[in-house]
Amino acid sequence: MMEIHKTSWPMRILVFLLFVYLLAPVILVFPLSFSGDQVLRFPPSFWSTRWYSALFANSQMLQAFWTSLSLAAIVTALSIVIAVPAAWVMTRLTFAGRDLLFNLFTAPLLLPTIVLGLAILIVFASFGLLATMHGLVFAHLVVTLPYALRVLAVSLSTQDRACEEAARTLGAKPLTVFFRVTVPMLTPGIVAAAALCFLVSFDEVVITLFLTGPRISTLPVELYNYVYNQADPLVAAASALLILLTLAVIMIVERAMGLGKAFVK
Amino acid sequence: MTSAPEEHLRLEGIGVSFGAVNVIPALDLSVRKGEMVAFLGPSGCGKTTTLRIIAGLNKPSRGRIMVGGRDITRLPIHDRDMGMVFQSYALFPHMNVTRNVAFGLQMRNIPSRDAESRAAQALDMVQLGHLAHRKPKELSGGQQQRVALARALVIEPSILLLDEPLSNLDAKLRDEMRVQIRALQQQSGITAVFVTHDQVEALSMCDRVVVMRGGRVEQFGTPTEVYERPATAFVANFVGRTNRLKGAITAEGTLTAAGHQLRSATTLPPGAVEILVRPHRIRIDDAAETANRVKGAVSGITFIGDLVQYAVRVGDAEVVVEEATRRDRSALAVGDTVTLGWSAEDTLVYPAGEQ
Repeated sequence: MMEIHKTSWPMRILVFLLFVYLLAPVILVFPLSFSGDQVLRFPPSFWSTRWYSALFANSQMLQAFWTSLSLAAIVTALSIVIAVPAAWVMTRLTFAGRDLLFNLFTAPLLLPTIVLGLAILIVFASFGLLATMHGLVFAHLVVTLPYALRVLAVSLSTQDRACEEAARTLGAKPLTVFFRVTVPMLTPGIVAAAALCFLVSFDEVVITLFLTGPRISTLPVELYNYVYNQADPLVAAASALLILLTLAVIMIVERAMGLGKAFVK
Repeated sequence: MTSAPEEHLRLEGIGVSFGAVNVIPALDLSVRKGEMVAFLGPSGCGKTTTLRIIAGLNKPSRGRIMVGGRDITRLPIHDRDMGMVFQSYALFPHMNVTRNVAFGLQMRNIPSRDAESRAAQALDMVQLGHLAHRKPKELSGGQQQRVALARALVIEPSILLLDEPLSNLDAKLRDEMRVQIRALQQQSGITAVFVTHDQVEALSMCDRVVVMRGGRVEQFGTPTEVYERPATAFVANFVGRTNRLKGAITAEGTLTAAGHQLRSATTLPPGAVEILVRPHRIRIDDAAETANRVKGAVSGITFIGDLVQYAVRVGDAEVVVEEATRRDRSALAVGDTVTLGWSAEDTLVYPAGEQ
């Protein structure tokens, strides 16, 4: 048996320590969320589910959760609808300035989000888009579209072009080829891009901070504001639930096609 | 017996240029109805490009494509009615085998029940009826290629285009598929164009062979013509194996190479020449009188099983001789002196420096 595991002991210990370092804060959230204490303290002096009850009784938090959920759903759907044809144009057509355009579209990935947030604040203020749902949708699209575009462009460029060509020779018009061959073959990429967009939008804080207000707020911003005022284990309960939601999204992707297939390729 | 078969496909001055580079200068070609023609040549010779131009997947820079007397040069791909088989098979991974085969019929608005029964027939034709509900990735390479063939044939296309369809198969399967593709093509009487870099496929499957190089047609003829009477030294080298000797034709018209005087059926003006002789057309120590007889020393023996290859040093040249293995052949050894003999017809002579 020892022959199979070639990894040396010091290496294994190092990997274990790295995992502990990476995951400890995430795992600590779970015991913290079942604390019965009034303040965040580890280890908790006694156990209770009172902060979960408090969370579900907090109408402001629940409101923010539904806002975040519907915002992420709308942003994800729009991102896919926009990015699939855009990625197709970027990978299937050749025209002057294509690479420039692609880099321009994916540039927000490289910009510091604080700069983007300020820029969006200034522009949106003059259009009256602050603290509105469609304002948030527009702002989040700026962040999610580059992700979707990149993931889908990679998927499309690794697709066997001969399948599209075969469909054309068999009598399919270009639009039929797109919907009957290209998009179905792109499904793993679409699922991966959608999961990514959903998580990015649901998690987005920096830009959203500039655009939310008493009228409308998202869960991450609400949590931030909450912690700013009082440090009780309610945020731990919320965080624990968010971790579970993220895991659920990843598991859906995994069930649908396998993580490796969706993200690695 | 029959009148000359009518022309079905015609390429008129087809050319492709990328900027100032002429990839295909001007190609003229005529394919008869029901005929299977091979485009044979090394990679980069323009054979696949020409095939894709016929399918409409590539646009020619100039020239016309005629099918059945109709100009289809400007016709979009989906209206061309061609069945194409790709090197990568190009089956739709998200559809099962039946739906793959029925795809072309659906595009022709054939009701799905008819389409499915015709797809089933086509699958029976390639002996895959029992795998109708599998997904492509659950099939072997050979099976996938047969599905691709059924998919291309089921629409009864005006031309069947095959782009290196056997390159991804192993040797044994390739032999089987060669026979099967040819049989299907002859049964359906479909006009077919077959792109390959493998001379065995071209010679054994096709009625006529177009040998291409650098976007030009070197020779267009039957397999026998191309093999026995290669138009150029390139064709002789590319189709089948040859010995290449440097030689010359003197002012008096005698052909000399490797210190010997040779006789050929071809006559060329005086000058430097290249002489090509196929290894299996040379006999070793044969009593029969042949036009050419030269002495040499065996310098190497390679036993291949059904063949033995002898390398024989003749003057300053090395000549390879191939012989079917026989039990009665007295064993030759390296260093033995032998007499090589071959006919004047087997001595192919081309002006030197042609390639």
